[in-house]
Amino acid sequence: MGTGLSLERRIQLGFGIAVAIIVAVGAASLRSTDATVRGAHWVAHTLQVRAELEAGFADLMEAETGVRGYVITGDTSYLAPYQFVRATLNGRLAGLRALTADNPAQQRRLDSLDALVATRLERFQWTVDTRRTGGPAAAGRAVIGGRGKELMQQVRGLVRRMEEEEERLLAERSAALQAKARLARLAAWGGGLVAVTLAVVAGALITRELAGRRRAEQTLEQTRTRFQQMLASSTAVIYANAVSGSTFSPTWVSENVTRITGYAAGEPLEPTWWLDNLHPDDRARVLAELPALFANDQLTMEYRFRAKDGVYHWVHDEARLLRDAAGNPVEVVGSWVDITDRRQAEASLRASEARLRLLVGSVRDYAIYMLDPEGHVRSWNAGARQIKGYTESEILGQHSSRFYTPEDVAAGRPDASLQAAAAHGQFAEEAWRVRKDGSRFWADIVINAVRDDRGALVGFAKVTRDLTERKRAEQALRASEERFRILAATANDAILSADSHGNITYFNPGAERIFGFTAEEVSGRPLTTLMPERFQDAHHAGLARYLATGEPRVIGRTVELAGRRKDGTEFPLELSLAAWKQGADVAFTAIIRDITARKEAEDTLRRYASQLEAANHELEAFSYSVSHDLRAPLRSLDGFSQALLEDYHDRLDDTGRDFLQRVRAASQRMATLIDDLLSLSRVTRGELQVREVDLSALAGAAAAELQKSDPEREVSFTIAPDLVVRADPGLLRIVLQNLLANAWKFTGKCPRARVEVGSMAHDGRRAFFVRDDGAGFDMAYAAKLFGAFQRLHASDEFPGSGIGLATVQRIIHRHGGQVWAEGTPGRGATFYFTL
Amino acid sequence: MHDRSILLVEDNPDDEALTRRALAKNNIQNEILLARDGAEALDRLFGTGPHAGRPAAPELVLLDLKLPKVDGLEVLRRIRANPGTRLLPVVILTSSREEKDVVSGYGLGANSYIRKPVDFGQFVEAVRQLGLYWLVLNEPPPRPDAA
Repeated sequence: MGTGLSLERRIQLGFGIAVAIIVAVGAASLRSTDATVRGAHWVAHTLQVRAELEAGFADLMEAETGVRGYVITGDTSYLAPYQFVRATLNGRLAGLRALTADNPAQQRRLDSLDALVATRLERFQWTVDTRRTGGPAAAGRAVIGGRGKELMQQVRGLVRRMEEEEERLLAERSAALQAKARLARLAAWGGGLVAVTLAVVAGALITRELAGRRRAEQTLEQTRTRFQQMLASSTAVIYANAVSGSTFSPTWVSENVTRITGYAAGEPLEPTWWLDNLHPDDRARVLAELPALFANDQLTMEYRFRAKDGVYHWVHDEARLLRDAAGNPVEVVGSWVDITDRRQAEASLRASEARLRLLVGSVRDYAIYMLDPEGHVRSWNAGARQIKGYTESEILGQHSSRFYTPEDVAAGRPDASLQAAAAHGQFAEEAWRVRKDGSRFWADIVINAVRDDRGALVGFAKVTRDLTERKRAEQALRASEERFRILAATANDAILSADSHGNITYFNPGAERIFGFTAEEVSGRPLTTLMPERFQDAHHAGLARYLATGEPRVIGRTVELAGRRKDGTEFPLELSLAAWKQGADVAFTAIIRDITARKEAEDTLRRYASQLEAANHELEAFSYSVSHDLRAPLRSLDGFSQALLEDYHDRLDDTGRDFLQRVRAASQRMATLIDDLLSLSRVTRGELQVREVDLSALAGAAAAELQKSDPEREVSFTIAPDLVVRADPGLLRIVLQNLLANAWKFTGKCPRARVEVGSMAHDGRRAFFVRDDGAGFDMAYAAKLFGAFQRLHASDEFPGSGIGLATVQRIIHRHGGQVWAEGTPGRGATFYFTL
Repeated sequence: MHDRSILLVEDNPDDEALTRRALAKNNIQNEILLARDGAEALDRLFGTGPHAGRPAAPELVLLDLKLPKVDGLEVLRRIRANPGTRLLPVVILTSSREEKDVVSGYGLGANSYIRKPVDFGQFVEAVRQLGLYWLVLNEPPPRPDAA
């Protein structure tokens, strides 16, 4: 407002001048009034002087008259005026002297008047005194002869001159007064005129200025409104932050901040509002970037900011640092733009690109690569490497013509293909291509022209598929079909196919042989032709159900049914049925086996089984009687031999007694043999009662039994705990009793023995073992160990029947396990078994 | 009647002789009543057949299982079924060690089950313990007729 300032000055100046004029006019008026008052004062003064003079002179005349009366009459009452004058005249003269103190000429005249008056008064006194003393005559003479008249003449003249002087002064002062009043009037009029003019001019100026100011304000308001609207409709939020040190506190923000943050523009915010609402993952990064604002005075950042509703928005923040004159940071102003959508779009684009890259990169069956407009390779995927044999680094920048056969290159095919793709957008063909190693492959090729937004050619996308495998697969399929035909033709089983209506479409020679029909006879006829009537309804229902619901009953399984031959005879058959889609239709293939022979074999087997069972029963009865009846004679042999030894001791010599002892020993051995044989046969009879068995506990019990039988022996048993298996508990007890008894027996000659029971891994199975450090055995005879009645030691060395290990083996075999042994003579033996 | 006799049910004369010998060697002087088969044993005990009116009241029955006519388990079943012999101590003395015989014997109420050892020395020892237990230590149940 440059003109405003000068205008203001001018107005001030105008008003200053006007005020000066008014003051001057006022002063003039004041002086004029003063003069008037003074003039009036002077008039009154003059009149007063004249009145005093007149009164004094009159008093003096009266006194003269009184004195004359006294002189004439002698009456003292005529002396009253004279006495009055004597009393007052000096006071009156003093008042006149005061009144005319400013006028030396009058003062001088007053001096003369004083003297004259004093003289006159003395004359009066003298006259009076003369009268009193001299009588009337003397007095008359005195009066007539005296100078009284002349004195009075002099007083009168002096008074007149004083009055004239006052008159003259009055006239002089009035004239001066009038001149001054005229000037004052003139000044008042002139000053008033000038002041009014100035006021009018100043008023006009102010009016003009106010109007200008109003216009300026209107313009400013319009601008402000426009600015606000612009900000409100802008996507950018403008803000200002006060800076204090390195902390910011929001001072102003545009209205549209609500859109991004949900906070109202006027809402009171914490100083740490901005920091508090930064995304925790971005905070560290943003704080690290902030110093750049102070270094460069500007900063552009992108971060997530939490709106009032708790949702994070991506924000693009451009901040500028403002500094004061001293260069200290004062304020940060900047703009915020919500870039959440852009970020998301970028992220999804990136993800989409990454997916595509991953997809293209991971495709192995297709070579997917890009060419520039001239045909040079620009990208290469794993499939391309696999199919063509080049690595990415080898091929990038190379011309794609090297994938073509020399003939094609000579014929200009590479360029022709690209030109065709460029012209029509796409080019496709199946042709031979060449790998890096020179080998050829039959390929399916699609070339797509790639154009930018303006339609300019930027390159080509090529997708090449190796069809060699497919060709091979087609050949393999043909071969497989041929194999199937041969197989079907030569198969013993009947192989036949039917359509979805159940009509026969294929009938192999095996089927002809089994059913007695020729293929021609049954082709197109329903499958029910091959079934006994009682199965036909079930067949129709099953076929309908399968076609309706796809629920298989027979399909995919093997079932036993009955078939009907051409001659009407029935036979048992085994059927495997498969269904498959043939286009939109369903077709079935059945493999049928005539199981007449098998059925007969099964019957025979069943018969044998029952015979075997009967035989087993007989064997059991036999064993029972053996255990009873074979033992009784042995008891007699032993018992009576003993009776002989006791009762006929004296009559037998030593040889006789020895014979009888041998009879007894033989009887007892035979009893043991019988017992062992019985237990051997017992383990093969009866069902296996398999359940969980604690093998450790069984071994422990057997060991305890052995130790009780001969407490003198020092044998330490080490039994691994928790050996739990699934087996027949009774039979497993026999196994452990036998094996531990064996170990016990063959360590019998050791003063201190060790027997160990444990488990180990063997060929992927769990094997258990019983190990001793006793007599051991020669591995050459290991095979004989488990045969019944097989012994590796003489009876007198280690007694035994040779049946124990045979029993063990039989039990283990019944469990489906294995038993074997390892040993060294004199170093002990280990017996292993699995279950 | 408490005659302290022992009823020996045994078809094999050899075993009978050996049993008598084993008893004698252990100074068991009780009278031995002999039955050759199951039927005779029952006749003896219940006073039937040839022994009509003269039922034996042994203190102990030594019973073989494999017997002609009526087998040992049947004899045991009938002894236990009869109120007069229900509490009679019966010791099975047999060659069999078949589990099913042992189980059946105890199941029918046998008081002991002893397998005759082939070794006569062991047999004598077995009979000694048997006699000591059943004839000396054991307090027999009160007899119905003597009560």
